[in-house]
Amino acid sequence: MVDELQLDEVLEEEEDTQKDMYMTFKSGDEYFGISISYVNEIIGMSSITQVPEAEDYVRGLINLRGKIIPIIDVRVRFRQEALPYTDRTCIIVINVKDTVVGLIVEKVDEVIKIDKSNVIPPPSLNQHGGGSNKYVCGLAKAENGVKLLLSPERLIQDEDFSAFAEGEDAEGEEEKE
Amino acid sequence: MAEEYNTDGMLDIFLYESEQLLENLQDIVLANKDEECFDEAAINEIFRVMHTIKGSAGIMMFENISKVAHKLEDVFYYLRESHPKNVPHLELVDHVLNVSDFIQGELEKIKEGDNPDADPEKILSELEEFLDRLKSGIVKKGKELPPENTYVEPSQFYIAPTGSDGKYYKIAVYYEPGLEMSNIRAYTAVYALKEIAEDLKYIPEDIISNENSGDEILNDGFHMLIKTQGDIDAIREIIEKGTGVAQIDIYESSVKEFTLGFRDDIQETDVVGMDDGDEKQKDGTGKDSKEPTPGDYVIKSKEPGKGKKLAKQQSKNQVKQSFISVNIGKMDSLMDLIGELVIAEAVVLQNPDLKVPGLDLSNFQKASAQLSKITSELQDVIMAMRMMPLTNTFQKMNRIVFDVSRKLGKDIELEVIGEHTEVDKNIIEHISDPLMHLIRNSLDHGIESKEERLAAGKSAKGKITLEAKNEGGKVYISVRDDGKGLNREAILKKAKANGLLGKRNPDELSDKEVYQFITQPGFSTKEKVTELSGRGVGMDVVVKNIQAIGGKLEIDSTPGEGSEMSLKIPLTLAIIDGIVMEVGETTFVVEIGAVQEFISVTRDMVIREPDGDEYINIRGEYYPFIKLCDRYHIQERSSSLEEGIAAVLEYEGKTICAFVDKLVSEQEIVVKPIPPYLKKISGISGCTQLGDGSIALILDIAGII
Amino acid sequence: MKILVAEDDFASRKFMAKYLQKYGDCDITVDGEEAVDAFLMATEDEEPYDLVCLDVMMPVLDGYQALKAIRDIEKERGIAGDQAVKIIMTTALNEEKNVKKAFEMGCTVYCGKPVDLDKFEMALKKLGLI
Repeated sequence: MVDELQLDEVLEEEEDTQKDMYMTFKSGDEYFGISISYVNEIIGMSSITQVPEAEDYVRGLINLRGKIIPIIDVRVRFRQEALPYTDRTCIIVINVKDTVVGLIVEKVDEVIKIDKSNVIPPPSLNQHGGGSNKYVCGLAKAENGVKLLLSPERLIQDEDFSAFAEGEDAEGEEEKE
Repeated sequence: MAEEYNTDGMLDIFLYESEQLLENLQDIVLANKDEECFDEAAINEIFRVMHTIKGSAGIMMFENISKVAHKLEDVFYYLRESHPKNVPHLELVDHVLNVSDFIQGELEKIKEGDNPDADPEKILSELEEFLDRLKSGIVKKGKELPPENTYVEPSQFYIAPTGSDGKYYKIAVYYEPGLEMSNIRAYTAVYALKEIAEDLKYIPEDIISNENSGDEILNDGFHMLIKTQGDIDAIREIIEKGTGVAQIDIYESSVKEFTLGFRDDIQETDVVGMDDGDEKQKDGTGKDSKEPTPGDYVIKSKEPGKGKKLAKQQSKNQVKQSFISVNIGKMDSLMDLIGELVIAEAVVLQNPDLKVPGLDLSNFQKASAQLSKITSELQDVIMAMRMMPLTNTFQKMNRIVFDVSRKLGKDIELEVIGEHTEVDKNIIEHISDPLMHLIRNSLDHGIESKEERLAAGKSAKGKITLEAKNEGGKVYISVRDDGKGLNREAILKKAKANGLLGKRNPDELSDKEVYQFITQPGFSTKEKVTELSGRGVGMDVVVKNIQAIGGKLEIDSTPGEGSEMSLKIPLTLAIIDGIVMEVGETTFVVEIGAVQEFISVTRDMVIREPDGDEYINIRGEYYPFIKLCDRYHIQERSSSLEEGIAAVLEYEGKTICAFVDKLVSEQEIVVKPIPPYLKKISGISGCTQLGDGSIALILDIAGII
Repeated sequence: MKILVAEDDFASRKFMAKYLQKYGDCDITVDGEEAVDAFLMATEDEEPYDLVCLDVMMPVLDGYQALKAIRDIEKERGIAGDQAVKIIMTTALNEEKNVKKAFEMGCTVYCGKPVDLDKFEMALKKLGLI
């Protein structure tokens, strides 16, 4: 069965301060953070149905209380080797512009407040190789270490995906009438 | 906006009747467009329509509509009285349609709750100019002009209520336990809320007169129903000012809930329904035919906290209608719920708990059979509720053909067949745009100019046929034209240039396959772009829209004779009967209609071509043999042909044989789309949840072939 | 302009009075009977009202009854046509049959609640009251 942490209950912050709250998690040796405003919920590992012909980091689909959502393995997305899934492995369900996706992360850490003043832009080197750096939009200094703040759009976007591809969207928009 | 469409309201009736009149008007005009002039019947009818609309719009003080209608009524007044000859017919037709469009536009605005504020000046001056010519024509012929058709202002007016900004809320206030005089505090809240309340009801009601009401308040809370322009925060703020408040719950409510009020000994009546005692309306139309009688609305003395109650004993309003309009959102929710019900039913019926050996499930089986039967019927009824005839959609096309063919200088008629065919409302919404586009294509690119047609030995008048029919659980809609057809060579050339051919040999492609290239994005063999059909970004979007409702577009053509675009759309979108099969760890479902048979496979039945394709020999016939585990790169469980099973699947005359590991069951499944985030997978058209919560992929045979 | 308002709901009463003040003197009554009495009195005093605003749902006599009574009084005295008082009925009831009945009985304007003030003013202008 699935464990759920309803973050809406945990946080009774107003919308504004949501922007400074980040969900942090561990993947490999690094700690990452995603703005809480994108996070719907966190669930434990659930059985994943594989989908043929999907990208390697798209693990498949899960059934979340009747909704079928796609699952990405964050490590594979960062071009790292996938780790075996343990009972500490969690899925962070995020909602980016109405696209709901689950992120498999090694270990979920805590929700912390990160002031804008503590965030510095990421180093501009290392854009190659498609490592985690491509998806990082800032470095945050927190009490217990540095967190790499992720841009959810970039994280789930892929050049091939028609969901966000600009070219097709524009064409699609034209003929909408 | 009112949740339910009150079909008896003055404004609603005005809108409905006016739209009906305009539709009639448009029909008459289009029926007579090819004639030399309007005959007497048509003139009278058009005059009558404009006169009626002018009158009712005048009463409701919709000045623009009234003025414009009067102007056109004027024109037809002269036509009726003086019978002038040589009236420029097409120009007149244009004027009538312009007026119709103008009024329609204003009506739309009123429907939306906006102001009908279009500027009528242009259309009025055009009509005035036309009318002057008409009048001078009459005078020149030596006839006398009939007396002026003066505009008489109505003497009575109806003012429609403004879209009420007043919203309804339900409030529950809980006080600290043991609090003294909670009833007085409740009264303070009521008094404070009156500042922003248009209307307010509360329970217990006797908070001032009855000291004991305080106990009720402490135990059950103090409940209020409020109608106000304010929002939840405003309400909360006001109540919070009181002391001793432990908790405040505020919910959005509705006019109905508000009117019904709190549960009472005396039956609360729906204030809107007015009738004598228990008289039921037996009017043929089902509409309430009882007139209000003076005295129906006298109020009993108003009690604090209660809504107005009429002195007459009223029974609950029993307006029997043949039809009710239901908010589409509710219908969609209903559809979703029936889908969930089907899944839940499967979860129950396939529950692992039942698999305990030795259980006598005969009673359970009987009960579950009954459950299945009811769920099935429920499904059918709900599907039927959502069905609507295509009539309106098809009628829209009439106007488009008329306008566009005129603009292009072509003479084209539209033939409509099967417009009463019913389809799911969802389909209607998605089909309108694609159909419009296809028809525009035929008008613009398909049908040749008069000269070209005559030169080719065809009739000068082009014809487009729009046909719909229901067959075997699917809806077939086709757009046929007798134009010049599609040019295979030109399409192949463009396809090659766009790199769409790949390694395939163009000669091996059937005509139909070639024609399908035009549905690729960015495709257009027209060198010039016309305003009407666009740059060729159209067809791929058309196809996308059709696929969004589970349909398919087929294109056929005979050069020189015409083209046919056929849409095939499944009627029941969401729930299908399927066979569940396993391949390795993956579960597939295929629609039962596509399955011909299942057969065991032996090695000698399978032949392998040098290029890797396999074929299977079934009773002398050879069919493509596709191992799904290979096709989708799945870890196979059964490694040998003998252990698995093959499903012979047929689609559109093509038969293939798919090899799977195991057959699991036959069951109804709810079709859910693959999350759009994933790229489209060829051969998979959706997914579903099975009874055990696992996810199965729905096979799309056309994609595998 | 002399205006008579008949409205049993305090809030609505206040609202109508406040709004109509700018056009003339307002007399307020709280039920159908009072309204008819006031109308009769004014007519007999030869200082008749120019405009009567009637709510439909009222105690003792409802709007329709008051409407009928007022028109009957006028008929009796030979007051007709342009001389007859303009009567505006205000109500949340908007069924066609309610409106039709009101018009039949001689109501000049049928105004649905909540009142569209712009249209209300437009009607007053059309009736030549302002």
